[in-house]
Amino acid sequence: MSKPVIGFAGMSHLGINSAAAAAGRGWEVVCFDGDGAVVAELKSGRLPIVEPGLSELLEQNKTRVTYTAEAEDLERCSMVYIAADVPTDGRGLSDLSGIRALIETVASGLGRGAILVILSQVPPGFTRNLPLPKERLYYQVETLIFGRAVERAMYPERFIVGCAEPDSPLPQVFHAFLSVFGCPILPMRYESAELAKISINCCLVASVTVANTLAELSERIGADWSEIAPALKLDKRIGPHAYLSPGLGLAGGNLERDLATVLRFAEDTGSEVGVIESFVWNSRHRRDWVLRTLHAEVLATNPKAVVGVLGLAYKENTHSTKNSPSLALIAQLKPWRLRVHDPVVPASAVAHPEVIGCTTVLEVAQGVDAVVIMTPWTAFRDLETDQLASAMTGRTLIDPYRVLDGKGVVAAGLDYFTLGAPPLRASGRAAHA
Amino acid sequence: MLDHLNVRPTKPTRVVIIGAGGFVGGTIQRRLEADGVKTLPLARKDLDLLADEASAKLKDLLRPTDSIVMVSAVAPAKTVPMLMQNLKMAETVCVALADVEIAHLVYISSDAVYVDDANPVTERSVCAPTTIHGMMHATRELMLNSSTKAPVAMLRPTLIYGATDPHNGYGPNRFRRQAAKGETVAIFGEGEERRDHVLVDDVAKITALVLEHRSAGALNVVTGVSTSFSEIAQVIAKQYGVKVASHTRQGPRPHLLHRFFDITNCLKAFPTFHYTPLAEGLERVRIASI
Repeated sequence: MSKPVIGFAGMSHLGINSAAAAAGRGWEVVCFDGDGAVVAELKSGRLPIVEPGLSELLEQNKTRVTYTAEAEDLERCSMVYIAADVPTDGRGLSDLSGIRALIETVASGLGRGAILVILSQVPPGFTRNLPLPKERLYYQVETLIFGRAVERAMYPERFIVGCAEPDSPLPQVFHAFLSVFGCPILPMRYESAELAKISINCCLVASVTVANTLAELSERIGADWSEIAPALKLDKRIGPHAYLSPGLGLAGGNLERDLATVLRFAEDTGSEVGVIESFVWNSRHRRDWVLRTLHAEVLATNPKAVVGVLGLAYKENTHSTKNSPSLALIAQLKPWRLRVHDPVVPASAVAHPEVIGCTTVLEVAQGVDAVVIMTPWTAFRDLETDQLASAMTGRTLIDPYRVLDGKGVVAAGLDYFTLGAPPLRASGRAAHA
Repeated sequence: MLDHLNVRPTKPTRVVIIGAGGFVGGTIQRRLEADGVKTLPLARKDLDLLADEASAKLKDLLRPTDSIVMVSAVAPAKTVPMLMQNLKMAETVCVALADVEIAHLVYISSDAVYVDDANPVTERSVCAPTTIHGMMHATRELMLNSSTKAPVAMLRPTLIYGATDPHNGYGPNRFRRQAAKGETVAIFGEGEERRDHVLVDDVAKITALVLEHRSAGALNVVTGVSTSFSEIAQVIAKQYGVKVASHTRQGPRPHLLHRFFDITNCLKAFPTFHYTPLAEGLERVRIASI
């Protein structure tokens, strides 16, 4: 008997990485997307996303991967994952119309006995309400992290599987597929699995919010959050992988979507979710940290200031700008001239009346009054601060993610601002904000 | 947060200032006129909002293209009769607005509308006033907002200081008057309570910007910097060459030790506007009051 074929419908970030991992684990996969242009790009080896190790993984396993724009090609699959993006609006609410249409297309062409697994992020209740035979319908939690998607897909911590009947064994093909990844498999009812996904993200947001809240306090009382966080990670109740790095609020869309989902369900059910509302507001507050710092240090006294922005993507190692703090900042800087650079995202992604796209970091720094490092790309860590300071007209460097060594920046004659610590001034002025 | 209905700043056709005879209203009038904006200033002698037929008189004065700044109040409202008097004044305006079309309404409210434990205060802080003065402004906001189809902006200034301030409340205004008379500047206890103080000229400037942008929504008119009364007293004492003296507080210490504001929404609404730093504002007031 030949090895079953696994299908993936929807060549999203999630779909491509999941299919690549399945192929990497030795399975033959069929990658379907209704958009012929996307399929043509994938066939030619041009990936629409940036993810470390992805192109190599696909190249190594190309004999096991078929790309197609024809849904009929999924008929030979024993199992098909629905992996399309579920877009969100500005409030984080999901538009489920696309995924419903995709499920209908795929389900109508499934082979006899084949099972369907929803991998996309859907709200609780979605899977059970699908008009499909429940013994062949499953939901699986995805925990993709942009920038680490291949690693996460190849070496998952566990599989959380939503089922109609969690006490019944999983279909053989499904169990065999998941087992090759060598991690625990946790079957549970559909709604539990759908809420488990949201619960994971709420826990992450809680950690980030604690870090952001106490980082702000650190900035104002002379503490340094970077000294505190390692101590917390050694606490067994918190753990070494806890999300304790302060940042510019939530970005990327997925965490925001889950918070919006919880708020919507709370509205429907009367649950008390004040803490979730606080997460949302804290995120919005911290997102504007750079804007407030720029105004206080530069813009309030220099109406003709030029600002250099390094990084446009919402985080490093991705092309995504969804809810990017950098673009949010730029939207509030319309009266000032900007110079921008990102290793992956083109300057054309920026909506601003006076922006110059630069090809190098030093080109950005030429003649600017302030430099802000809005995405912690590794390439920015190699910046020579002396060269940076020489190129700049002003003395302000805002580095929320601590890409650079603050003391080195100050030694180069610049004032240094980062999250979680008081400003460092080249002139030796008071350290407190 | 404010929404700007004018994509580009545009001078209002005419601004009717109800309460132009007062400290804030007069400053707004002068600011607008300096900007070349046509105004119709209404002081109490022109329009007594407590008089019979005041609504009809106001209605007759208004044109569909008018922007209105409502700044008239008997303030601070400390008693129930004062509260009712202020609501009656607002009712007069509401009755007039119900019958006429206007272009824009700006109400000069107060940060007293917010709940006391909001810290830092933002425009999304809960409006749950604990004083009659705060309740007066919160009620007037609701009354005015529900009486017109025109866009409405609620401006909520904190403690305002300026050369012609009539209230002489504890803080910059009283300190300056004491110092100008050669007296010691009197603070209560250590004067450690920190508050935000805004120069009246900045209140007028923000009002002008809101009118130009035909903005709707709420905006706190605050500097985002909270300073202790002790520090303010020291600055003013130095200006006038007098000393600061600590006095035993009459009654209990304020329940609110410090009040801070987050001005991010103002930075977004008016990115090129920046508040006058307190020390600079106090110096301007000193010169203006000579």
